[in-house]
Amino acid sequence: MLFIIAWRNIWRNKGRSLVVMGSIVVGIWALIFATGAMNAFMVGYMADIINHDVSNLQVHHPDFKTDRDVQFTIPNGEQKADELRHWEGVKATTTRTLVNGMIASPRKASGVQIRGVDVANETRVTAVDSLITEGSFFQNVRRNPIVLGNQLAEELRVSERSKVVLTFNDANGNITSAAFRVDGIVKSSSVNISKQYAFVKQEDLTRLLGLGGLVHELAILTEPHFDEKIVVDEYQSKYPDDLIETWREISPEMDMMQEMYGSMLYVLMVIIMLALVFGIINTMLMAVLERTRELGMLMAVGMSKVRVYSLVLLETIFLGILGAPIGLGLGYLTIRYFSETGVDLSQYSEGLESFGYSSILYPYIESGTYFQIVIAVLITAFVGAVYPAWKAVRLKPVEALHMI
Amino acid sequence: MSIIKAENITKIYNHTVVPVHALNGVTLEIDRGEFTAIVGPSGCGKTTLLNILGGLDHPTSGSVELANTDITSLNDGQLIDFRLKNIGFVFQAYNLIPVLTTMENVEFIMLLQKRTKKDREARAMELLSQMGIAEKANQRPSQLSGGQQQRVAVARALASKPQFILADEPTANLDSKSTSSLLDIMADMNREEGATFVFSTHDQRVIEKARRVITLEDGRVVKDERK
Ligand SMILES: Nc1ncnc2c1ncn2[C@@H]1O[C@H](COP(=O)(O)OP(=O)(O)O)[C@@H](O)[C@H]1O
Ligand SMILES: [Mg+2]
Repeated sequence: MLFIIAWRNIWRNKGRSLVVMGSIVVGIWALIFATGAMNAFMVGYMADIINHDVSNLQVHHPDFKTDRDVQFTIPNGEQKADELRHWEGVKATTTRTLVNGMIASPRKASGVQIRGVDVANETRVTAVDSLITEGSFFQNVRRNPIVLGNQLAEELRVSERSKVVLTFNDANGNITSAAFRVDGIVKSSSVNISKQYAFVKQEDLTRLLGLGGLVHELAILTEPHFDEKIVVDEYQSKYPDDLIETWREISPEMDMMQEMYGSMLYVLMVIIMLALVFGIINTMLMAVLERTRELGMLMAVGMSKVRVYSLVLLETIFLGILGAPIGLGLGYLTIRYFSETGVDLSQYSEGLESFGYSSILYPYIESGTYFQIVIAVLITAFVGAVYPAWKAVRLKPVEALHMI
Repeated sequence: MSIIKAENITKIYNHTVVPVHALNGVTLEIDRGEFTAIVGPSGCGKTTLLNILGGLDHPTSGSVELANTDITSLNDGQLIDFRLKNIGFVFQAYNLIPVLTTMENVEFIMLLQKRTKKDREARAMELLSQMGIAEKANQRPSQLSGGQQQRVAVARALASKPQFILADEPTANLDSKSTSSLLDIMADMNREEGATFVFSTHDQRVIEKARRVITLEDGRVVKDERK
């Protein structure tokens, strides 16, 4: 009968019950949407970087990381790349020759990382060609083609077919310069690709360096959901002199990003839940105070404190149970809707893209997270009811009845 | 055999600017099956006395023994349990749970005592018939008149066959017709079920129906007569 009383009590003051239910609905919806949006930011950002820049795994000479000297190459890099292609879980591999240098247009000069790429394999691993917005990825220009990021091109004020000059140290330490013609412009949310890299053909770069077969980087794309660790262990035991790393190790900032997002989400959750707790404390306290005499009578005739306490909690729980599916449904539909159409932030994305974000977000949530959010909100509602319930128990029957 | 035994109880309300001496040494004994009215002008201490006899409030001094239990030594939780098992209450108003039907209200105490559904329903129906409100069994209190509500309250108090029933001015909010019919019902129950009633009033017509009248004045028993 406690259940019946609690259930009927919540319909006594429909307006107030709607407020509690509404805040539970909004709380759940807001948390789901916030989590979805955060995930979209996070995943969009990481996916761009992993897919188009870092890849799953990279191999370097152990010293290359600290000193990007041309001499720190991967011995037999090409053969290793060919061999790895047949390993289980490996989808594609490519080799790169890397040199730091300067790029100059008639207007301006800038520091760049010159990436000598194996065009066919590069497109298999990073699909940089899919980022082309102007021109082509080494299809049109015959002699010394170069592909630049959109921001770098803008800075240099160059476009397709413009001429640029690359300057760098060759294998003997002599300064070399060569003219290149812009074959294409790539656009990406990754700062590296849009600003730091200059892609050239590997054969052009090795020719200018004066030495063939200089492989500084071996990039590996693994099959989706394949455990990268397996390839790492196998490679490391076979070639202990090389350094193989996962994207987490290569881009520690991504781990930091992930952590930062985690804590931002956490702060957001705490804020939403605090609002919820106070809302519920307030309304349930009103519900208790309004029924002082009735609660006093119940205790006078022998209703135990535990039962009175449970009554107030039960009322809140019922409201939670009524509100939760609505909030969950709304949240789910919102995420579903936006995960297909995406949230287009391009109007505001000038700033965002320069930080490395995509301008269209695709919110998503793992199904387990929905569950966690609902549980968290229900617990919050419960916590909000504890104080009013305690207030109810503290009523003294004589005093409560004395108000008659 | 006495079921209520109060010895020299005093009650001083201290939280007021000037301490109020609501009871000044009340001693009384009430036997099983009695039909007693506590009477006296407003402010003489009737409510205070009934609260103490019902274990709702603690006396400042003196002892209260109910059904052979010294309740002054019980804590709040134990008192609630004691009230549930031994005492029936009828208040002046706000007796019923508004969200429950008449029937459910009468069953309520039995439910707290964990009696079976069959048991509860049979007893509740029996009482409602005796009170002449069986046809209201499925209505909410708000649909009943004041007199009918008080009858439901009496039925609820009687339902679990408590040791005694305390009723603080149960007719204060009723018109004279409802007042006399409620008193008649209480008197019937006193005869038929042997229920012990202690009720307070300052209404002369109610006093006339009582078989024992204890008169209070300034927190003291000034007269105690059996008819
Ligand atoms: N909670 C209280 N605090 C202070 N004084 C009270 C309280 N309850 C009753 N009194 C005082 O105690 C006296 C007796 O009151 P009460 O027992 O209510 O009398 P009655 O029920 O006969 O009208 C009155 O003077 C009243 O003002
Ligand atoms: Mg009174």
